[in-house]
Amino acid sequence: MNSIIGIAKKDIKTFFRERGTVFWTIAFPVMILLLFTAIFGREIPFNANIGIVDEDGQPITQSVISGLNATGFLTLKIFTERTEAFKELNATNVRAVLILPQNFSQNLYLGHANVSLIVDGSNPDTARLISDGVKTFFTNYYKEIFNPNYTEPINVKEEKVFGQEIGYKENIVPGMLTYPLLFSSMVVSTGAIVYEREKGTLKKIRVAPIRPINMLFGKTLAALFQTTISIIVMSVLAAVLLGPKLNWNVPLLIPIFFLGSMNGIALGLIISCIGRAPQEASNAATTIAVVLQFFTGMYFPIEYLPIYMQQFGRIIPMTYAAQALRDIMIRNATFTDLLIPMATLVLSAVILYGIGVLLYKRWVEK
Amino acid sequence: MEKMIIEVVGLVKHYGEVKAVDDVSFTVQEGEIFGLLGPNGAGKTTLMEILCCLRRFDRGRVMIHSFDPNKNSLQVRASIGFCPQETLLYDLLNVRENLAFSASLYSLSSKKCKERVEFASKVLGVEEFLNRRVEQLSGGMKRRANLAASIIHDPSIVILDEPTVGFDPNIKREFWELIRNLKNYGKTVLLSTHDMYEADEICDRVAIMDKGKIVALDKPHILKKTIGGEPLIHVRVKNSQAKKALSILKEYKTSVRDNEIHISAENPWETMTEVSNKLASQEVLIEKIEIGEPTLEDVFVKLTGRKLTEEVA
Repeated sequence: MNSIIGIAKKDIKTFFRERGTVFWTIAFPVMILLLFTAIFGREIPFNANIGIVDEDGQPITQSVISGLNATGFLTLKIFTERTEAFKELNATNVRAVLILPQNFSQNLYLGHANVSLIVDGSNPDTARLISDGVKTFFTNYYKEIFNPNYTEPINVKEEKVFGQEIGYKENIVPGMLTYPLLFSSMVVSTGAIVYEREKGTLKKIRVAPIRPINMLFGKTLAALFQTTISIIVMSVLAAVLLGPKLNWNVPLLIPIFFLGSMNGIALGLIISCIGRAPQEASNAATTIAVVLQFFTGMYFPIEYLPIYMQQFGRIIPMTYAAQALRDIMIRNATFTDLLIPMATLVLSAVILYGIGVLLYKRWVEK
Repeated sequence: MEKMIIEVVGLVKHYGEVKAVDDVSFTVQEGEIFGLLGPNGAGKTTLMEILCCLRRFDRGRVMIHSFDPNKNSLQVRASIGFCPQETLLYDLLNVRENLAFSASLYSLSSKKCKERVEFASKVLGVEEFLNRRVEQLSGGMKRRANLAASIIHDPSIVILDEPTVGFDPNIKREFWELIRNLKNYGKTVLLSTHDMYEADEICDRVAIMDKGKIVALDKPHILKKTIGGEPLIHVRVKNSQAKKALSILKEYKTSVRDNEIHISAENPWETMTEVSNKLASQEVLIEKIEIGEPTLEDVFVKLTGRKLTEEVA
């Protein structure tokens, strides 16, 4: 009994003396709780960008737009031309386009008006929420403004673009494939330097005439190898076990996997340079990876987040990797479509490696 | 003419308020084994880590092969092989893989790497366990492999931090031979130790360090002669006869330490015969009588008033 208590006491004392470990142990539940509260504790737990093309341009359409704006779950972008709106839909800057056609106001007075809702079907959850939300809005709108007894005077003609046949499996697989980019790469690379430091072998490397960037790139290659194994295993298992109807465009997937992994690895190396003990670095990496997954749209649509969180999500490189995977596999994106996410991932990797080199040099020169 | 390989002038290094290295100056000549002797906490490791570019210093000048480590750290690091106290090997790799990894850090070609692995393993006797994983090796084997890894790139300077600490006497002697071998192959060796016998046995010159300062620097035999004082004759008699023995030997310079009478003597062999005859004639039974030459420990005690085994506060 004494030995059991002795072991436990020693571990607890050690835990409290590694302040970083204590910090991350407390930070993890706090951050998760705050995130869940911010995401799911809202009255309207959803916010999506949609484009509106007002072809009628009458006061009644203005009133429809104000009404949609007031719902709180839609952020509207107003367009005068359909082509502009569709361009934004293509670029995933809006999730749907609502067209208020010419004569909408006139037809509404006559008791039968049509609107078109073109929804990005590549994310079925978002598509469903937007579709249900817009339909409910129009039903209530007419009841409130015109005739409480008259039902469905406004017909919402819905059309899905991208991933018309997307089911749950197809929706979840691209998100799953983002997992190794975020978790495996970060966890592997976090251990890279902190382990060498703990073991003392970092001294051997530091004595040798190698530059910090070479050290980080050496570590990156090894982490990339391990991350690649995770990606291959996960892709093969997902394809075999789930059999999703997805576009496995390998030549396009490889650069996204590569750039996404580089970002994850660079972030892990930064944590590794900051963390003093392996336990601390591991806790930090897990907490950061778990928290980041909420913002990237890996598992649930980014539209579930409050607007300020969506904005934060857009500065996280992994969000672009997750979106690019979805775009390739569901929306059949081409190389040109991926130029912006690729450029973003390259830029963020360069910045993260720059920070990594500075931190490593600072630590080495202490 | 001797060529200076390492030059340290007025070196100062602080850790917060603590002065770990305090105005240290010395030079090391090509091909010599230079020892830093001092107790734990004397600043030896810090000094070595500065020379290896592992730490920056606050003041002073360091030149290695005429390169300033702050400005030309890559050149300095390429010329140094550092072997610290701890074993810097990867347990899950075998010795050959560890050596190959060390070679890769110095960008050796595969041909050169093969040659160097062969050479280092031969010189340091690691051939028989080259293909064994480090986790399966004994402490002595690990240390030898560690030393082999640190000279794999054929450095001109080998820096060894407490290379034999924790070794049993046999392995220690074996290791001293390896270090002498390095000298025979033209390496300049800088080693730190708190073992006076080790310093005495293998070092050409020794700098004695205490509280971050060099308190004496010379060849071991000169240090012992000039600072260590005269040889001592150690006499042990029965406790009941100790007073009587002291009164018989009152004409000599005596002191009592560890239940032994120590007699300072310029001519120890003559004095030992005299002492032994005098005690025997007065029926004092001698349990032990021997001559003790001054050691580097004596030098250290004379200089600092403390023993080498005492840590610096």
